[in-house]
Formats: sequence, C-alpha cells, structure tokens
Amino acid sequence: MTTRRVIPLRWPAVVAVAVVGIVGLVAFTWPFFVTGDFARDHGNDAPWLFALLLALLAVVCLAEVTAGRLDAKTIAVLGVAAAAGGALRLLSAGTAGLEPMFFVVIVAGCVLGPGVGFVSGALAVTVGALLTGGVGPWLPFQMICAGGIGLGAGLLPVRAGGRSERWVVAAYALVTGLAYGVFMNLWFWPFLGTGAPTGMGFVPGAPLAENLGHYGLFYLTTSLGWDLPRGVLNAGLVLLAGPALLRVFRRGARRAAFGVPVVFDPADDKHLQGAGGAR
Amino acid sequence: MAQARARLQHPAAWWLWGLGLATAASRTTNPAVLLLVIGVCVVVVDERRDPATPNPLPAFLVIGAVVVAFRLVMTAVLGNGIAGDTVVVTLPRIPLPDWAANVRLGGSVTLEALLYAAYDALRLAAILACLGAANALASPRRLLRYLPATLYDVGTAVVVGLTFAPQLLTDAREVRAARTLRGRDGRGLRETARLTVPVLETAFERSLGLAASMESRGYGRAVRSSDGSRRTATGLALAGLVGVLAGLYGLLDASAGGLLGLPVLLLGAVLAGASLLVGASRDGRSGHRRERWAWTETVTVAAGAVPAAVLVVASVQGWDGVVPSQRAELPALPLLAVVAVLVAAIPAWVTPHPREAAP
Repeated sequence: MTTRRVIPLRWPAVVAVAVVGIVGLVAFTWPFFVTGDFARDHGNDAPWLFALLLALLAVVCLAEVTAGRLDAKTIAVLGVAAAAGGALRLLSAGTAGLEPMFFVVIVAGCVLGPGVGFVSGALAVTVGALLTGGVGPWLPFQMICAGGIGLGAGLLPVRAGGRSERWVVAAYALVTGLAYGVFMNLWFWPFLGTGAPTGMGFVPGAPLAENLGHYGLFYLTTSLGWDLPRGVLNAGLVLLAGPALLRVFRRGARRAAFGVPVVFDPADDKHLQGAGGAR
Repeated sequence: MAQARARLQHPAAWWLWGLGLATAASRTTNPAVLLLVIGVCVVVVDERRDPATPNPLPAFLVIGAVVVAFRLVMTAVLGNGIAGDTVVVTLPRIPLPDWAANVRLGGSVTLEALLYAAYDALRLAAILACLGAANALASPRRLLRYLPATLYDVGTAVVVGLTFAPQLLTDAREVRAARTLRGRDGRGLRETARLTVPVLETAFERSLGLAASMESRGYGRAVRSSDGSRRTATGLALAGLVGVLAGLYGLLDASAGGLLGLPVLLLGAVLAGASLLVGASRDGRSGHRRERWAWTETVTVAAGAVPAAVLVVASVQGWDGVVPSQRAELPALPLLAVVAVLVAAIPAWVTPHPREAAP
C-alpha cells in the first residue's frame, strides 16, 4: 500500500500522541481513582482544568504530528475531510447529536493512515464547532476523542480492498460510536455530584466498583439511547457507502500522488533550456 | 458618551470577557445571580453582536432551558441525593429488581430536591449563555488568525474546511435534486449513502485544484523553519508533555505529594506552550487588516474579570447566599456579587458599534 501513511508519524509525534492519549484518559477517568478529599475539594474545578490542559495538549500534539511536513495537497485533502465532517455536523445539529461525521473520519483514517486520521478527526470537530458556533469547554475533549477514533481507524489491521474490509470498518464504527458516548459523558458526570439521580451520581472517595456501577446505570438510562443509534447509523453508512467512499479517497490520494518525491534534475533542466534555445 | 467609529472589537477581548463571566457563573448557584448573568449576556449580545454571522445565542439559551427541564424531570422521576421534608407530590413508586436496588423510580418528590436540581442546572445554563454570548459577539473563526505560526498549516486546513463545508451542502442539495428529478425520493439511509460519492468526488476535484493553485503560488515549500529550531521545539514539547504527565500524577495521587503536582504541571504546560512559539519564531508573516487593541478592549476584559474575581472570593470565603442552603426558602441575595455581575454589562454601551448594515 503506497497511499497509507500520508503524514508519517516519527517517534516524537508517536510519543506526543501517546502522552496526550494518557492525559486524555486521565482527564476522562479521574473520578474513578482519586481520593475522596481531592474530589470534594476540586470536583468543580477539575473539568475546567482538564479542558484547558487538553486544549493546550491537543494543539501541541497537532503541531508535533504535522510539524513542517504538510504540503499543499495534504492540506487540501485534510480540508476536504474536515469540511465533510463539519458539513455532516451542520446537518446533524437537528438530529440530537447523531454525528454521522465519524463515518468520514474513519474512512479518511483507514485510507490515509493514522496521522491523517488523527488530524482530520480533530479538525472535523473543530470545523463543525466553528460552523455551528458551538465552541466551548467540551471542544478539547471532543477533539481528543475524534482524533483517537481517526487514529485507531488508521491502525485497523485490514487489507485494503479486501472483502473483510467493509465489515471490519463497520464494526469499528459501531464500537467507537458507543465508546465516544461513554467517554464524552464522563467529562461532565462528576459535575452532577449529588444532583445526579439517586444511585447514579459520582460519590467522592467511594470504591471503584461502586462508582463504576453508578456510572454504568447513568450511562444506560441517559446516554445509551443516543449512542446506540449513532453507532448503528455510522456502521450502516460504512456498510452502504464505505466501499465506494474508500475508492473515492484512494483515488483522490493517488491523484494527489502523495509520497512521490519531487526531484529537479539539473540535467533535465539543461535539456529543456537547450531545447528552448534551439527553438 | 462620544462613540468611536464603528469597528469590530478584538475577538480575544470578547472571549476573555465571556470566559470571565462563565467563571463567575461556575462559582455560584444563586438563581438570582445566575439569571442576572444570562440577562447580561442577552443585553450585551443584543447591543454589540457581530452582524455578519448568524446569532448562536438563542440556540445556546434553548439548550440551557432544555437542560433545566431535563434535570427537573429526571429529579422528579429518579430523585437525587438531597433529602427534604417538603413533599410537593408523590408519584407511584415502581419496585425494581435487586441489582438496581440503589435506584429509585417514582416516590415522593420534595421541593428541596427540585430546587437543588433547578439551581444546579441553571448554573450550567448560565455558563452556556456566556459561551453563546462569546460565540455571538466574536465569531470564533476570527480567532483562527491568532494561531501560532507552528500551526499555520493546520489553520489553513481548517480555513479550507470552513470554506468547503457550505459548498458541500450546496453540492449535496444539487445532487439530491437531480436524483429527485429521476424519480427517487432522496430520503433514507441508502439514498444518503449514495449521495456521498458524487459530493466527495466533487470536493476532491475542487481541493486538488486548490492545492495546485496553492503550490503554483509557492505555498508548498518543504522547509520553512530550520532543523535546529524544530528540534528545540520538539524537545520542549516532549519535556512539557512529560512534565504535564508527572504533574498530573502528583496531583491525583495524594501519596506522591499534592504540592509537588501543581508546579510541575504548570511548568510542563509552560514548556509545551513555549514549544509552539519556538517553532514559529522563524516564520515572519505579514497580516491583513490587523485588529487593534484599544482602551475599550481593556475595559471589556476588565468587565469580565471583575465578576470572576468577586465570585471566586465570595465562594472561597463562603458569603451568604452565594451557594444557597438546601432548604425550601428564598436564598439571601449577595449584593456585592449582583453589582459585580452588573459591571459585566458595561461593554454593551462603552464599546464601539460593530459595522452595521445600511439602515
């Protein structure tokens, strides 16, 4: 496969993505393992702190992944992926966050590699937020989540054009549609505190199993109704349009001729000049 | 007061104002103060919003109202952690199986629980209103030009995306119209899936055309900054990230010493932030129509910082009425906090008018 890995991930970028991934995981799951004192003292500030921190880290991560290696064609293709994601976000604003945009991000990551997947996921969310005027503390969390989904799509072990590809990618879309909801609820769940319904709230300092159980109930009652349709919608879109869309992206990538080094051969140059002079 | 000539204020000023007011709202659950915050947002947006972009504030207000209503319904049906004596109404209680013994479905609804849920949801609605106001007063895409030059490529991709997204919608509408003319009804998942191929084909076509034109104008230079500065930037970024990770660990794990956590975390964040600037130091770029920072911008930021500072102090010192008690009574009104929130409305009158449509 020559079209994969349009943005090669060098080791600093890999380390940056890994660290940001760990920090992101902590930013989402901190309620489960902090001490009761910390949660009582900082339960209100922590989501804001993590929003700021993740915004900074997401930007640093984007800078590291793209550091000086984006040519005009990559930017244009990233722009298309971001635009498609953003446009789908605009359309889905009326459907209570069913977010069909993941479908584009997943396909882009699948064809163009984990680097492009990460950047286009983060940018698609950003473009959608900018278009709908929905910039807020949730944006960094969404950027990390969507970027992770695109990155994971790029790492899927499938053979390009194989028969199994469609099913693997569709299953991935279903799973990530659900996982996205699980994580995105977590950033505001500790906020609710005692305000959450009985037996579903965050109890500072309670054992892990109890909080996990509470969160599980909270997820089942409030969020699953949105997440399951989202996962099914994305998986359905991948099944129906996936192969065609994969071909469109591959064709676009091939026409953009990523990875073909441009060499100016002085001999050729001379030849051209000579030809010009002779005419 | 003599008005300056019409111009758009610096977007950063409005965003700092909005974040200040949001910080203030996040520190209180007094319903009067929170409603006042929402009112200030509405007034300022009404006076000074950017007329070139659609107004997102109503959408934010609607979401806030939905949040309040949803929380009230959930509290009434499922209860919350607040015990109270004033029973408003008693719903039939539905027995649940053992594994869900902690969950309450139905039962008596107390006024205390409802009030607590309403105040808490109102706080979220007020924060949403502040963010909506910031979005309405200064379109966040105007902030894009303040991205550090390290992210110039990414910023360009976002701008390309922002330009193409409406065109994609137009394309989709056209393709759909064409399919309708051929006798398809253009609805349903399958039809939507069919739509994506021609639409994205067109988009790729257009983007490759754009890439060609960008390259022919000298955009795609492979090397822009020296290797040394980039290596420094990468080193700083990695050191900063490791610092952030270590700081977080110190902060969250009490046995490692919480004091060590925050400074290390801040140091890491500063290093990571510095990496963005170092990588950019070699890039000189001229700007088109740079925005000015005049005294009105300073006033705007200060007007947002005052309520933030007052309410942070108020919540730390535990003033009367900032966090109302969980009893069924009217909460006390912290007068100084009210005055501080009113200060945030000043930019509605002292800042220059945004450019206006012809009257």
